[in-house]
Amino acid sequence: MNGRDATRDVLLGLIPIALLLAIWQGTVSLGLAPPTLLPPPGLVFMRMAQLLATASFNQEILATLFRLFAGFSIAVVLGIAIGLAAAVSPAINAAVRPVVRVLAPLPKVALYPALLLLLGFGHESKITLVAADALFPILLSTYYGASTVEQKLIWSAMAAGTPPREILFKVILPGAAPSILTGCRIGLVISCIVVFLAEMITSTDGLGHVLITAARTFQAVDMFVPLITISLLGLILNGLLQAVRSYLLRGFPEV
Amino acid sequence: MRSRVLFARLAPLLACVGLLAVWQVAALTLNNDSFPTALDSIRAIPSILGDKEALINILASLRRMAIGFGTAVLVSIPLGLLMGRSRSVASFFNPLLMVIYPVPKAALMPIIMLWLGVGDLSKTLVIFLGVSLPVIYHSFEGAKAVEEKMLWSGAAMGLSAVERLVRIVLPAALPEILTGCRTGLVLALITMITSEMIARQSGAGNILFNALDMGQYDTVFAMIIIIGGMGIFLDAAFERMRERLVRWSEPQFDIPLSFS
Amino acid sequence: MFVSDVEKAASMNLMPSRSDLKAEAAPAAKPTIAMIEIDHVSQVFQTSSRQDHLALSDISLTVDDGAFVSILGPSGCGKSTLLYIVGGFVAPTRGTARMKGNPITGPGPDRGPVFQEFALFPWKSVLGNVMYGPRQQGVKAAEAEAQSRALIEMVGLKGFEHFYPKELSGGMKQRVALARTLAYHPAVLLMDEPFGALDAHTRTRLQNDLLNIWERDRKTVLFVTHSVEEAVFLSDKVVMMSRSPGRIRQIIDIDLPRPRRRTELLLDPRYQKYVVDIERMFDDAGDDELQP
Ligand SMILES: Nc1ncnc2c1ncn2[C@@H]1O[C@H](COP(=O)(O)OP(=O)(O)OP(=O)(O)O)[C@@H](O)[C@H]1O
Ligand SMILES: [Mg+2]
Repeated sequence: MNGRDATRDVLLGLIPIALLLAIWQGTVSLGLAPPTLLPPPGLVFMRMAQLLATASFNQEILATLFRLFAGFSIAVVLGIAIGLAAAVSPAINAAVRPVVRVLAPLPKVALYPALLLLLGFGHESKITLVAADALFPILLSTYYGASTVEQKLIWSAMAAGTPPREILFKVILPGAAPSILTGCRIGLVISCIVVFLAEMITSTDGLGHVLITAARTFQAVDMFVPLITISLLGLILNGLLQAVRSYLLRGFPEV
Repeated sequence: MRSRVLFARLAPLLACVGLLAVWQVAALTLNNDSFPTALDSIRAIPSILGDKEALINILASLRRMAIGFGTAVLVSIPLGLLMGRSRSVASFFNPLLMVIYPVPKAALMPIIMLWLGVGDLSKTLVIFLGVSLPVIYHSFEGAKAVEEKMLWSGAAMGLSAVERLVRIVLPAALPEILTGCRTGLVLALITMITSEMIARQSGAGNILFNALDMGQYDTVFAMIIIIGGMGIFLDAAFERMRERLVRWSEPQFDIPLSFS
Repeated sequence: MFVSDVEKAASMNLMPSRSDLKAEAAPAAKPTIAMIEIDHVSQVFQTSSRQDHLALSDISLTVDDGAFVSILGPSGCGKSTLLYIVGGFVAPTRGTARMKGNPITGPGPDRGPVFQEFALFPWKSVLGNVMYGPRQQGVKAAEAEAQSRALIEMVGLKGFEHFYPKELSGGMKQRVALARTLAYHPAVLLMDEPFGALDAHTRTRLQNDLLNIWERDRKTVLFVTHSVEEAVFLSDKVVMMSRSPGRIRQIIDIDLPRPRRRTELLLDPRYQKYVVDIERMFDDAGDDELQP
């Protein structure tokens, strides 16, 4: 891909976003929707800039980020560990497989009331929900990546004198890295979504709570701000993960 | 060999029983009022499903879910396929989709309710939005991976661009598309439950939280079993259909990928 | 073994005699001892339809220390499988393989494989790949790096130390794979069609490089190939296999002077005769054809 094509792609991609903003502005300007229901985009972004300057809104962002990271980290650690174990040990595989088959399609959000009853209304229940939701994509792509590591890579390492128990960390883990990181990317997006939803359902702080408070008082402007914030957070975190990914996978083709 | 196949079939069932047993033991040892045992919760299921109003509510939710899922699939597959085969279409839509991706669709519920009211339309629209993205994404990936040579030979046989998309790209991308639909189906259920939890009007999500507010813990856990059962059943049913449709292709994951 | 002997060998096609294997002294001056003994080895695979498939049937072969032995045979006759058994990656269904008299129970750094697919670690640079073996053997980092750089230079890749495998051409990857294996000083090199995927020019260059390395170190080499010319050019001994089930049909000693120069050899009637005779033998077999 040359530079000219890349520029064209970026410009092309900006069209629908610009179009969306234009339609939004147009609808308001033409009086098709009252500003109380659909505030003009300029107002929303100004309100957002205003809020970002306040300590209290930043507190909400931090609360959300804390739960997001805690849940996501637990999911990464558990997902990679269980996925690798299931890929290398037939016994663990036989146990994990049916359980995952049952738990993966289960709508985790339905467990949320149970988590509330067991863990209380604080951080713990939300973090557990985020972890439970982000776990399966990471686990499954780790399992898939680890069980498709090329046999000859493992043999090459064994012939060079690597003892069997080190093969896991020296060959299988790095060999599965592309797939694992793809799983982490899906898991991260899910974490963003789930933490926000959990905060909307019951919470006293966080971005989801900001949205619910605004909805109760019919403040349309304040309802848009947390939504745009979570979208931006998602983009930024995804960008960071992408950077980590292209560093870790610099040797692999097609990153 | 026979017994092995039988065991593979029964394994998920055994897993269900095992999980319920773990729950039973945990509840008995914790002996907590707000954590009923698995057996108590199962006993509460008939009374929920016997309640006519609750049943009608749940069925109405499922109808909205089916409509939202159906329309999302009809729109998303062609869009994804086009994106996969045309660089311009892909770079046109990709940034927009990336912006929308991390936004929780069920969180749009309050805003959409503000515009369209609390009726079926809002709820179906949210489900539609929730299902679209994974289906678009998987159709896109599937179409992108179609071998160029297959399309060349199609063109050589005189197929038009549209015919190539329908007769070559669609079947070749079908396994990947169906993976997307499978994710989308579970997602439809999740979006439905979540939006009902947020809107608190009617439906399974609402019954769940009403029971929580009223301290009817048996009902809470019974509802969890019902919703969980719906997810597992829908996924298993879809998987059977998928196996029929794409017998020729190996499934990439034989365990489902689901997320909210 | 001279030309007439080759013809004689062709006539007694299906009875490879054990005495044949020991018929000739290895060209090296050192005393010949058995490096690898393959003793009545058979390999049965279960197919996915759960039928038994006999991939190797009663193979016996002795490879002397310092010998260069090539294995030729039609596709699917079990050449790779035989190599994997010697490598210790696959356990034979029947029979035993021995290295210096000890039964082979698993892979070890005394036998270095070079696979057709290169199998380089994609997450490591050229230097990282070559250093892997010495580091695994407990060589200090600085020393391993110095040794590896020297090897990389020897295979003609100086300046590419920090490239990743994806940034190299097929021939360059093959050189790295060879250097990675040489780096831990295996006594035996197990090469599975290492030059199969390369263009003719690169292939010739790597053949020369391999011969130079072998003539210098006198490692024992077990070399699988589809090319009759390559086998005759490189080897002391050519093992011809046949398919369904895979068995040894004939072992031919290549009695050509060393060091061998490709350009001289191509004009040598003895070389030409070996090539033509071996090809004829495969043609006569009828049931299976030799892949190019
Ligand atoms: N893991 C396996 N499971 C079942 N059958 C196998 C397996 N590996 C090899 N085979 C069978 O064993 C036979 C020999 O295979 P092998 O790879 O050793 O052949 P080869 O001589 O190296 O062929 P080629 O020249 O094409 O590389 C083939 O018929 C193959 O189908
Ligand atoms: Mg082979």
